[in-house]
Amino acid sequence: MIENARIRSRIVASVLLICIIAWTIILVNPAPLMFHAHHLVTYSGASRSSFPIILLLRQLAYLVLGWVIMLSAMMSPTLIESIQHVAERSFKRQRGRAIGLFIIGYVTVWIVTNSAILLIMLSISLLELPSHHLIIGVSIIAFLWQCSPIKQRSLNRAHNHRELAAFGLAADLDTLYFGITHGSWCISSCWALMLFPMVLPQGHVAAMATMTFLIVSERLEAPKTPTWHLRFPGKLIQISIAQTQILFSSQLLKQE
Amino acid sequence: MAYTRNNAWDNNGTFQNTSLLWYAKGVGIMQTRALDDLNSWWFFAAIHGEYLNETNYPGWGSIPGPPQVPTTPLPSKSIQDSYWNQCQHQSWYFPPWHRGYLLALEAQIRAAVVSLGGPKNWALPYWNYLGPNNQYKMPPAFAQQTLPDGSPNPLFVEARYGPQNDGDIFIPIPPVSEQCQDNTLYTGSNPNTPRPGYGGPNTGFSHSGRLSGNLESNPHNQVHVDVGGQAPQGNVWGLMSDPGLAALDPIFYLHHANIDRMWAEWNAKGNSNPTASNWLNGPAAVGQREFIMPMPDCNAWVYTPAQVNSLSQLNYEYADLSSPAPTQPVAFDATTRRLTRLGLPPTVVAQGDRMDNENSLELVGTHDGTISLKSSGARVQLRLAPEVNQQVISSFAATSEGTLPDQVYLELENVRGAQDAYKLTVNVNGQTAGTVALFGLRRASMEDGQHGGQGLTFVLDVTEIIDNLHMNNALDVDSLDVRITPNNSISEDANISVGRISIYRQSYQ
Repeated sequence: MIENARIRSRIVASVLLICIIAWTIILVNPAPLMFHAHHLVTYSGASRSSFPIILLLRQLAYLVLGWVIMLSAMMSPTLIESIQHVAERSFKRQRGRAIGLFIIGYVTVWIVTNSAILLIMLSISLLELPSHHLIIGVSIIAFLWQCSPIKQRSLNRAHNHRELAAFGLAADLDTLYFGITHGSWCISSCWALMLFPMVLPQGHVAAMATMTFLIVSERLEAPKTPTWHLRFPGKLIQISIAQTQILFSSQLLKQE
Repeated sequence: MAYTRNNAWDNNGTFQNTSLLWYAKGVGIMQTRALDDLNSWWFFAAIHGEYLNETNYPGWGSIPGPPQVPTTPLPSKSIQDSYWNQCQHQSWYFPPWHRGYLLALEAQIRAAVVSLGGPKNWALPYWNYLGPNNQYKMPPAFAQQTLPDGSPNPLFVEARYGPQNDGDIFIPIPPVSEQCQDNTLYTGSNPNTPRPGYGGPNTGFSHSGRLSGNLESNPHNQVHVDVGGQAPQGNVWGLMSDPGLAALDPIFYLHHANIDRMWAEWNAKGNSNPTASNWLNGPAAVGQREFIMPMPDCNAWVYTPAQVNSLSQLNYEYADLSSPAPTQPVAFDATTRRLTRLGLPPTVVAQGDRMDNENSLELVGTHDGTISLKSSGARVQLRLAPEVNQQVISSFAATSEGTLPDQVYLELENVRGAQDAYKLTVNVNGQTAGTVALFGLRRASMEDGQHGGQGLTFVLDVTEIIDNLHMNNALDVDSLDVRITPNNSISEDANISVGRISIYRQSYQ
């Protein structure tokens, strides 16, 4: 909780830079790099032919790289507080190492989960359902998850920044474990929102941008009691409106 | 009309003090109203914080009376969401939110007093426990079971156990002090102002936060815990000890009137409040809840810190608010004191080097691993990183070159538990680093609470201890001895733990 202003500003700048680079890659060159990352159903719909293509090793490398880019674009803004937590609780000479271990833990758990989801989706694709069935199914699941107390509990847990050891192997293991647990709670809260763009036959980038907005908005909300409720994460909109009003009224005051 | 808030200890703090007598009658009127009445005592207490959904203590249905606290009828959910659980703690909004809260409560009581034929200029009295003579004791009117006319005294509260858990209500001085009044920075730090500053850290809406500001930490938090205390037997603690119960106790508002008076006095000394728009416009400026109070005319008063920034904007004053013009910058005194302690002439440090450098904060050492606190307290060795400790030592040598040595802080982080009614005294190598009160611990430890159950954080300025170690050639060591001692026996159910203890340096170079 003892904060270092320089550490925070560096983390914010770095994370935003990574986020911008990731979005640039997505916008400039969505195919072939991003093709498999957010495209579980081919443009012609699901088919048995999806399976052997994906299983090619080269394609798998593209897939993982695409996921990392997608993760950087959609999730990196939510990691500022956690990275700051790790950096400020580490010795100066070990800050880079600690942040690296945290990110390795975080990304690994996402890749493992994405792989599992991919296998499930590919299995479903073997059923050769019309693509709109898959979209409707995922939409219903995503909506129910959004309203569920499990989602709120996951969001709450992602706010809990655990104590970390500072010395030796214990420090390394703690930061790695923190990355894994923090990533797990993020996945639990965001997986449905991130899955949705992946099943769309088109409009992925717009859907990803919308989901990113929702995910960041949700993370700006304070924890709440987990209950079933309709969740409209409009925190970013609220902040924008409030700040615009303040700016507008201060300009009026200056004119007077 | 300008209202004057007077000292509760006028006329020896008895019902001879008419401010107290009319306060009691006004509280009585508010207590006759239903929980869902926005003008009721119970509704106002819930604005601060409530435990209406809990079955066992501190659930409001299991509070030992008096007062007999109702748990029904509940107002609508939208009313609850707008008004309840609003108090700002561990935040730079702590002083202004409570100022607005007091104004609203005072208006309610005044309306009740006037309806009873009382004075139209009635104002809330304050309890200056740091004042001379017997003022460290609770005004006697609060301990009377009946009013002078023989009717029950609404100021009397059963669950008020005191610092020794024996029902004797007083404020131990020290450790309670007005040292924060020497601070010169609202948020941040400088040689006179330890982190996180007089008014508190920069936060959003913070019903339950992590790190208290210096005014909030001492005296505010300590007085809460000292008055509330813990029942001699069982797991019941005093109302004042817990933010979800505190505003049920009428002494709460006199305590906060004194905190408000101290803030006004601090401003009168020439210290400034924040000018950042996020502070002036309140948490609504970042899309969060607004500060809102019910007023006697049934209208809602929505306010921002900018509207309660100074007493000159408002319609009340304090009877004995002193505003001495500073004869010289206080920072000069603090720096001089430190240089004197180090055996150096005051002229060695230039004025421009006296502000701290928040960017230079760096971890020096830790005790890794969670400590479970029992009645006997805890003692640990805080391991130092040799190369960083050498930088602290080197900073003393740099003093002769015109800069102050490092400022050093001890941090107790992720302090969690189920009961708030404890104070912990922290010693470093046999020297007292400070005393902290665990007010707000229970809420800060809830996994679905506002900060996800991270618990409280305490930061103690241990620079003087480090200076003394340096002067005794005892600073070039691998570890520091840290001892934590609770003020009273800790209940088994309290489950108090400290996640990590750390030491940080902050350089002026």
